[in-house]
Amino acid sequence: MNDDDVERPSLSRRLFLQRGSLAVAAAGVASAIPGLTSALTTAESEAPATEAVVADEATATMTEPLVAHVRDLASGEIGLYSGTREVVFHDPTLANRLFNATR
Amino acid sequence: MSSHREAPEISKDPVADSTDLYAFVSPDKPDTVTIIANYVPLESPAGGPNFYEFGDDVLYEINIDNNGDGKAEIIYQFTFANQVTNANTFLYNTGPIQSLTDTNWNRRQTYSVTRVDMPGAKKQVLGKGLASPPCNIGPLSTPNYPALAGAAIQTLPGGGQVFAGQRAEGFFVDLGAIFDLGILRPFEAAHATFGLANTGLGAMAAGVNSTNGVNVHSIALQLPKSQVTKGGATPSDANSPSSVIGVWTSASRQKARVLKASNGTDVVSGPYVQVSRLGNPLVNEVVVPMSKKDYWNAQPPVNDKQFAAAVLNPELAQLLPVLYPNVFPNLAAYNKGAPKRDDLVAIFHTGLPSGVVSGFQNSMGTTQADMLRLNLAIPPKTSGASNLGLLGGDVAGYPNGRRLFDDVVTIALRAVAGATLPLVDKSFTADAAATAITDGLTTDGNDLTARGNESYLAAFPYLGVPHSGFAAGTS
Repeated sequence: MNDDDVERPSLSRRLFLQRGSLAVAAAGVASAIPGLTSALTTAESEAPATEAVVADEATATMTEPLVAHVRDLASGEIGLYSGTREVVFHDPTLANRLFNATR
Repeated sequence: MSSHREAPEISKDPVADSTDLYAFVSPDKPDTVTIIANYVPLESPAGGPNFYEFGDDVLYEINIDNNGDGKAEIIYQFTFANQVTNANTFLYNTGPIQSLTDTNWNRRQTYSVTRVDMPGAKKQVLGKGLASPPCNIGPLSTPNYPALAGAAIQTLPGGGQVFAGQRAEGFFVDLGAIFDLGILRPFEAAHATFGLANTGLGAMAAGVNSTNGVNVHSIALQLPKSQVTKGGATPSDANSPSSVIGVWTSASRQKARVLKASNGTDVVSGPYVQVSRLGNPLVNEVVVPMSKKDYWNAQPPVNDKQFAAAVLNPELAQLLPVLYPNVFPNLAAYNKGAPKRDDLVAIFHTGLPSGVVSGFQNSMGTTQADMLRLNLAIPPKTSGASNLGLLGGDVAGYPNGRRLFDDVVTIALRAVAGATLPLVDKSFTADAAATAITDGLTTDGNDLTARGNESYLAAFPYLGVPHSGFAAGTS
């Protein structure tokens, strides 16, 4: 069974940061890459206070792991895997921050 | 082998490695069709303490095309789950396993079966928590294995049966010879030997069954014909394309995996991607070039036209006259032209349309797709069957589906050697050797036991009782 990549441009970067930070930690990646957790935490802390809706969504319980795959720094293409879904997300700034966290 | 370890990447992932696929009108229940998909190649029966099982992170599918578009209209999905009843022992079982609920059985598998109807992906769960039997360990651990495994045959709602568990390998092949640069023991004296002297070759010998005594894990389905045909018909007209179904199996894994992510367990996530598939035996094994084998495994059959060049001019057909000089002069001459093996395209990719073989067809159209094509209106051959199938004049056998006893290695060798080329190219005369070449594992066309090596069952799930670990190597 092949599932084509699903483009989901509407997925907010903020939501990814907050959910992703939880998910990556749950997957054990954060502890394996020094600095990644703090990078993501910093990003969360920089969230404008006005994004109340995002904050509410971020308090939802994550019931399954979320795995991120940074595919290309120039385009910022990041593949997100959750459950049986794949979401392709583009954010060059985030991609580079994740990359730099591994340096 | 048929498709055991046939591609570099899948050879590292045995639980997802489809090894053989069979599809035939059930000889004892001719109103039904039986489909068997085997996985986990070359199981050593004594392979404890962690005996073989299906992958609990693999999605297994049996796919059925009933309109000739090369896509599945019906999919049967199988997923497995493991249970450990005693976490404080290293043992697979702590005493004799006398039933499928025996508490002595420490590590067990259950599975679910879901039917998906396309388009629309309408799902129907046919069974959940179904027991897969343990492996056949020996007289103390599994003292009455045939009955124990027999209890794992489940009845499906709406008719039909399902079984998922260990079986004796039913495929036979002389691997040790064929992959030693194309040796065929019955003809080894004619091999060119690459100029090497003192090779020990020369005696004309019977083949050696390399898969004798090993086990495999089988997913077996027996379904009323009406459940797999377009519109729910029960086919009766062998000349009608609507009497034909195409079958293939596939295994898929979720795209992302993080090893030992938390609590020491792996995280798998994302959509399922196909890592293995199988329709016709031997195609990915010996027709598709190595660089494309794993890619082939990831493709759906509907895309198989991209592999047509390898079928139209197969490497093995080029090699045979070189390895066996002067044995295939007509094939050698044909190869020097512009080979266009439409006979092989028909066998592997489209089915044989009416008019090619008198009184037979198993085509649903011209879409190139590697599937086992089975004409459900052709009754099973209950006596006088030929292990050479259609080449032996037995229209109930391969390439009309595939039965357990079909000698597909010999059939494929003969076809590739040119025995079937005259069907589509009247100017070609097959070499005498093309209709004599054999893997040497059957005594003649009527030998349905591979020189006594295979003990098939007369009823579902047909593949033999798996070899016992205790008895392995003693006979």
